[in-house]
Amino acid sequence: MTPTLSELLTGRPATTTLADAVLKVWPEHEAYLTKSLSVRDAPVLEMTEWLAEAAVILGGDRLHTIAENYRWTCDRLREEELHFHRHGSYRLTTFEAANAEVYSDDAYMERYIDGLLLSQVFWSNHVESCNFYFREVPKVLKDSARLLEIGPGHGLMLYLSLKTFGLAGATAWDISPVSVDQSRRALERLGASGATFAVQDIMQLAPGAAAFDLVVMSEVLEHLEDPRRALTSIRNVMAVGAYLFVNVPINSPSPDHIYLLETVEDVLALVETAGFRVVSHGAFASQGKELKRALRQKISVSVCVIAVAGD
Amino acid sequence: MAKSTSELHVAIVKIFKDVMDVEDIEITNETTADDVEEWDSLSHVRLIVAVEKKYAIKFSDAEIESLRKFGDLVTAVARKTNA
Repeated sequence: MTPTLSELLTGRPATTTLADAVLKVWPEHEAYLTKSLSVRDAPVLEMTEWLAEAAVILGGDRLHTIAENYRWTCDRLREEELHFHRHGSYRLTTFEAANAEVYSDDAYMERYIDGLLLSQVFWSNHVESCNFYFREVPKVLKDSARLLEIGPGHGLMLYLSLKTFGLAGATAWDISPVSVDQSRRALERLGASGATFAVQDIMQLAPGAAAFDLVVMSEVLEHLEDPRRALTSIRNVMAVGAYLFVNVPINSPSPDHIYLLETVEDVLALVETAGFRVVSHGAFASQGKELKRALRQKISVSVCVIAVAGD
Repeated sequence: MAKSTSELHVAIVKIFKDVMDVEDIEITNETTADDVEEWDSLSHVRLIVAVEKKYAIKFSDAEIESLRKFGDLVTAVARKTNA
């Protein structure tokens, strides 16, 4: 029998705080939250609480508003789901269109980023992806590595990487000055030090401009018109033998997702044709669905890849 | 040729079970999302689109929002297909 939400939240105070905030503005979401937490094993539930602790700090006294914005974001995603299943494509396909509708609208962006923050805790595929990252990356990462995260967004991955990897340094890039500033302030709020932030267009990287040991691109490629070119360009700033971590959702309509990947093989081919050799990968369907069924029904799946730059 | 409502019910139950990935569950006209763990807002969208494709019909956003009970869906399809 599926445990109750109350049972699933026992001993997880930060997750409870966030769930309470969401249920206050969206009581009908209880069944989803229950299902989402019930499909997670012990390490993933531990990761959930870890992410929730950071999200609670980031939320501060805005938790009620963030919960409202999570609901608003889910409504937007449902609209995109409807388009996607009717037409088999994402609604927008160009950066210009996404910029006009989403990125350039400050009010929209604030609500959307709030929504995505809570999705990092409540959507099982997001937590499974984080769990994959923190389980698999240490297996290949050398001591005192130099990490680059592209598009750190709410900063949770960067924050937790700084906390756990014993890095020599961490750098965060985004093409948007507003996003860079938001990530910087998030890391400050979380009390993390050791990261440097810069506005950088990853399509404009000169060979040898830097030599990172690990490049992280979590939920970035689906926002680009030409993700292969971005991956190829990234190789210019990777040290010899450096690793790439990619997390990209497939069949995952969202207001600013413009590049559709439909299978796990599509993702692996994208990484490999950009000059990387895949070391390991994992695929995590929404709500813990069986992968085969999720692919058949075109349910969102997060695909995580660790790859090494080829010669 | 238009199908009877009972035929529609059987056909839509089949679509419902496929979309929701449920087998051993009885679906009645009174069944709601509260009765089926898999029936959430996103699977509701997939159900609607699967039904739209099967019957070559289209629901408005307001209709999609208002279809709470399984029977509501069958009735709406019947209306749109003149069953």
